[in-house]
Amino acid sequence: MHTQRIGAIFEKDLKDFMKNMMLLMMPIAPILLSIMYSRLGDGEEIPISMLYIIVGVTFSAVTSSSMMTMMAEENEKKTLRGLMLSPASFMDIIIGKSLVVALITAVSLAISLFLMGIEPFLSAQAIIGLVLLFLFFLFLGIGIGLFAKSIASTSAYIMPVMFLFGFTPMIEFLALGEDSIAIKVADAFPIMQLINMHDTNSWVPIGVVALWTIGAALFTYICFKKERTDD
Amino acid sequence: MENAMKVTGLRKVFNQHTAIEDVSFNVKRGEIFGLLGPSGSGKTTTIKILTGELLQTSGDVKVLDFDIAFFKTPDFKSRIGILSDNSSLYDRLTVYDNLKLFCKLYDAPLEQIDVMLEEVNLKDARNKAVSKLSKGMKQRVLLAKALIHKPDLVFLDEPTSALDPGNIAHIHRGLQKLNEAGTTIFITTHDMEEATKLCDRVAFLDKGRIQELGNPNALRYKYSTHAFHVETFDDKRLVIENERENADEIKELIATGKVKSIQSDNPTLGQIFLKITGKELV
Repeated sequence: MHTQRIGAIFEKDLKDFMKNMMLLMMPIAPILLSIMYSRLGDGEEIPISMLYIIVGVTFSAVTSSSMMTMMAEENEKKTLRGLMLSPASFMDIIIGKSLVVALITAVSLAISLFLMGIEPFLSAQAIIGLVLLFLFFLFLGIGIGLFAKSIASTSAYIMPVMFLFGFTPMIEFLALGEDSIAIKVADAFPIMQLINMHDTNSWVPIGVVALWTIGAALFTYICFKKERTDD
Repeated sequence: MENAMKVTGLRKVFNQHTAIEDVSFNVKRGEIFGLLGPSGSGKTTTIKILTGELLQTSGDVKVLDFDIAFFKTPDFKSRIGILSDNSSLYDRLTVYDNLKLFCKLYDAPLEQIDVMLEEVNLKDARNKAVSKLSKGMKQRVLLAKALIHKPDLVFLDEPTSALDPGNIAHIHRGLQKLNEAGTTIFITTHDMEEATKLCDRVAFLDKGRIQELGNPNALRYKYSTHAFHVETFDDKRLVIENERENADEIKELIATGKVKSIQSDNPTLGQIFLKITGKELV
């Protein structure tokens, strides 16, 4: 790793992000949703599952989506090749991009949670959970971005990520019943685990989310190896 | 002279298709070497192997004393520059921001940006977004990007395609200046005039094999019929063999003031390629 090269890629990607209308709209979506949600009810406390819907939307629509769009655009316009042929390593490139995505995600999530009520997240356990969840979505974005050859194709990939991992708490609105297999499977998903963490104060959900994050990291590694060995 | 590049028995097979077969050549340090061949002849595959983007199926490659196993190291990458038909720029960023990125990636001083913009005749476009540039201007920014870190060896794949004659001449002067400063240049081009003007040696690549290799003028002489084409003021066209016994005939024509023009029969590189391979070099 080389800090100057990481800094150069961060600076370039941040400037490019600020000039890309498609990417700029992504962090606005969770903020708008938060404004709407915060006006629901008569001053009642917002349920934790609703807060995690905002977290899920932010991480899927901003973290994963921005990352895969940035990677896919580099693939589509062949600029990634220029970076790979430079002395920057693949890690330098990924870290530089991830820092931009982390910054934009942090700003979007902070504004959204301030609007909704940030108190439930002001504990070490909740912050660790959010960091692991961020890494999980980031790895998914990198992995998919590596094999997505065009920006257009990312819209097809972002849907399953959003609905499976971002909107998981919404499964409760489907009235499937407590014994439904879908509900039981969804309970093991990362966001549901963090909701469970708030209910039980247990550290086990953090462990489960960590396993999801390791799985996403492995997925990214496999995508990377496959891309690098293709002739 | 020391070699900048040594390629021996290079072979690359994609699935069942052999892209290059038994390719061998050396490029000397400080030389301008041209690889000429039609589309699909194996030029891009060769460049990709030489720059570490592809692994060869067999054969040995050594570039700037680095073995192929070290082609992905920052040390190697910082000593080469690449401009290929796949090179690209960040459209939304300015010319300056694009070059600044690569300056920082290659640890080059930022002052190099203005030096390179001067070299490629683009000083006025410094703060323009790349999306607003013409194709020719983008090509010149790409060339500046490839040279910004003063590499020891530059790979240029069709560097003057899409450029107008004025800019081609400007780029040629820049490349010659770069070469005089000691940079080795490996170039592919379809422009035979460019190859003849710039290259110390050229190799003709066809069907993945090198068909001929040598100095452009030496090759033109080798494939010449060794005759002079003489045009006289009374519109006669004479072909006189370059033989000792014909010296008096030529001398007589010149002495009597009949000669309008006299040219050697040396073919162009394109004609030589056509003669060897039966193909036009396009």
